[in-house]
Amino acid sequence: MSGLDSLEYARHPGVRLVGLVLAVLAALGVVGAVVFDVPLAEVLSDGLETLASVVTPGYVARSMEMAAPITLAAIGGLYAEKSGVFNIGLEGFMIFGAFFAAAATYFVGAGGAVHAWVGIGISVLLTMGLAVLFAVLLIRYKADQIVAGLGVWFIGLGLVPFTAAVIWGSRNSPRLPGVGRLTVPVLSEIPFLGRVVFDQSPLVWLTVLIVVGAWIFLYRTQYGYWIQAAGENPEALDTAGIDVNRVRYATVIFSGGLAGLGGAVLLAHSSSFVGTGQTMVDGRGWLGIVAYLFGNYNPLGAAAAALLFGGVDMLQGQFQTLNIEASSKLLGLLPYVVVIVVLTGWGKTQVPSSVGEPYESEE
Amino acid sequence: MSSADQSGPRSMADRVAGRLLEATVLERLGIALASVTTAILIGLVLVAAAGYNPILFLNNLIVGALGSERILARTLRLSTFFILTGVAVAIAFRAGVFNIGVQGQFVVGGLFCTVSILWTAPFLPTGTVGGIGLMLIGTVAAAVGGGLYGALPGVLKAYADANEIITTIMLNFIAIGVVSWLLTNPLRAEGSTNVQTERLPDYVGLPPIVFGDSSFSIIGLLLTLALVAVVAIAMTRTGIGYDMVTSGYQAGAAVYSGVDAKRTIVATMTFSGAVAGLASAVYVIMFQGRFIEPASIHTYGYDAIAVSLLAANNPLGVVPAGLLFGGLNSSSSYIQTYSDVPVQLIDGIVGIVIVFVAAPELFRMAAKRAGLGGEDR
Repeated sequence: MSGLDSLEYARHPGVRLVGLVLAVLAALGVVGAVVFDVPLAEVLSDGLETLASVVTPGYVARSMEMAAPITLAAIGGLYAEKSGVFNIGLEGFMIFGAFFAAAATYFVGAGGAVHAWVGIGISVLLTMGLAVLFAVLLIRYKADQIVAGLGVWFIGLGLVPFTAAVIWGSRNSPRLPGVGRLTVPVLSEIPFLGRVVFDQSPLVWLTVLIVVGAWIFLYRTQYGYWIQAAGENPEALDTAGIDVNRVRYATVIFSGGLAGLGGAVLLAHSSSFVGTGQTMVDGRGWLGIVAYLFGNYNPLGAAAAALLFGGVDMLQGQFQTLNIEASSKLLGLLPYVVVIVVLTGWGKTQVPSSVGEPYESEE
Repeated sequence: MSSADQSGPRSMADRVAGRLLEATVLERLGIALASVTTAILIGLVLVAAAGYNPILFLNNLIVGALGSERILARTLRLSTFFILTGVAVAIAFRAGVFNIGVQGQFVVGGLFCTVSILWTAPFLPTGTVGGIGLMLIGTVAAAVGGGLYGALPGVLKAYADANEIITTIMLNFIAIGVVSWLLTNPLRAEGSTNVQTERLPDYVGLPPIVFGDSSFSIIGLLLTLALVAVVAIAMTRTGIGYDMVTSGYQAGAAVYSGVDAKRTIVATMTFSGAVAGLASAVYVIMFQGRFIEPASIHTYGYDAIAVSLLAANNPLGVVPAGLLFGGLNSSSSYIQTYSDVPVQLIDGIVGIVIVFVAAPELFRMAAKRAGLGGEDR
């Protein structure tokens, strides 16, 4: 199948990642030196000792927690785009996901972890329902994918805080239960690894499973090949007797559901829904898009990029514990700066050739 | 054709521009009206579902936009900002470049405007003459600041092939964060508990003429309309404008006829960002009289996307679309004060408008089914 050339460049995400790490370090160095007046030389001279005090097991674990929602959105977006639909509404779907999870948890009882899980389940179903509408608009009514995706974001930013205010009398929810941590006895006592692996949010492990599953499904199953062909060479897929638009419906609905799950995970890892400002999602859906672009549409690469964003995000707290004077406001901008630096360093990613075009079967 | 013109987002932009420009004026108007009406109807259903009175809400929507002289002045003031930011978006979209970064360019432009006025004020005479001089300086600085901040993603797109949709969104977050930091620390007004700069001198400002409202001047609106005319002429009657629009229509043909695609992208983004900066100059000089916490500024730059799309990216069409958005947002202030309905609903309605505008096919099919309109558009 000629449409599967995409496998060629999916093979070397490692090279890109090394570059990504270097870019992050460079950005960190520049920002640190210029803006925060961090005595870089001193920090460097402390060498490994400093590194060890920054990269604590708790830090790694928290970074993974931060990365999980971004990763989930990224996998969803990647599937949709692989099949030829640019789901730029990920941020909006995440906002809905976080809110649906909060509202569902609130209404089922908000008593404990069980309710949090029920909330997550309901949230995924509801966001998939929204994604069905979105998919119909994009595929049946050939809506412009970029504009409609932006519309989803705006609808999320407006209607979600509106509904939150109707329910709770405030754009923020009251305190809600999370899912807690999955602690394996004995094994969690292992130094470093114990905290990172065996004393971790179950949602992080769910995310890891989804990443691996998404990779296997995309590159090792028949349907995965259809998805790739729908984005690269829809005509060939059509000729082979497969309904291109059906494949696209499936991926768009899947992407909405995963972004919703990402939002729900974000909620489960914090104590309440925040609907003020850019909402608690606060750009993570956009980072999801960037993560899969860096990962070159490979689920493993996307997850690694998301982990890097999560790590940068969590640096704020680490710097504070080390008494490094840094404005948290500026440090919070680091992921965005990194995105631009890396996007510029790499330039164009290999976009599937038929992305953005509605497909019409010739009957 | 260079490889840049074949990348996904670029050709997607071509298609958007193509589809939106192809449609006849009448059809565009129909789709715009249908989108807005449907979105407001959905909003009313949501209001009713949330347990409020939809008739009262509709009434508040109208009274809140046009109810009194003071309210009308507010509507026109907001419309001025939406028209200017809408034109900024339209310039880019027409040329096939997605400038989602108008909000960031607005923030940077406003900061440049405020700081340039505050810093040069001691060296100029006070009074009307000095005021006019300072306003000119501030306006130019705003255009330069917005233009440079817009040029950045333009350069990154043209020369490093970085997707401008993503970079402009990231630059919005960065602009708001950095300016907010500057206003909290080095530029904060002395002794102020709020995150804001010092006030501009009293003699800097546009006089209220028709309306007795110090935060709106008809001069600001007239200057805005003049700028719209200039942009409309520049886009259709000048060489660079012609290059920009042909790049948007037919990237291939434009390159073939000798247009430098990379330079056109940078010029477009600079032009677009400069207009966003001008919007901010009006915002600072006519309305705020200082610069405030950028995170608390209304998302004019994002709503401007809807304004521009509603106007089919036509600078002249932006005027009625901007008036509509001015009215909607004016109502939202009214509703916040005089009603229990959470005002975020208005933002939601704006989002629904965008989604409908994105899917003209929806209304074409609906119109066909209802027996309206011709056989082929």
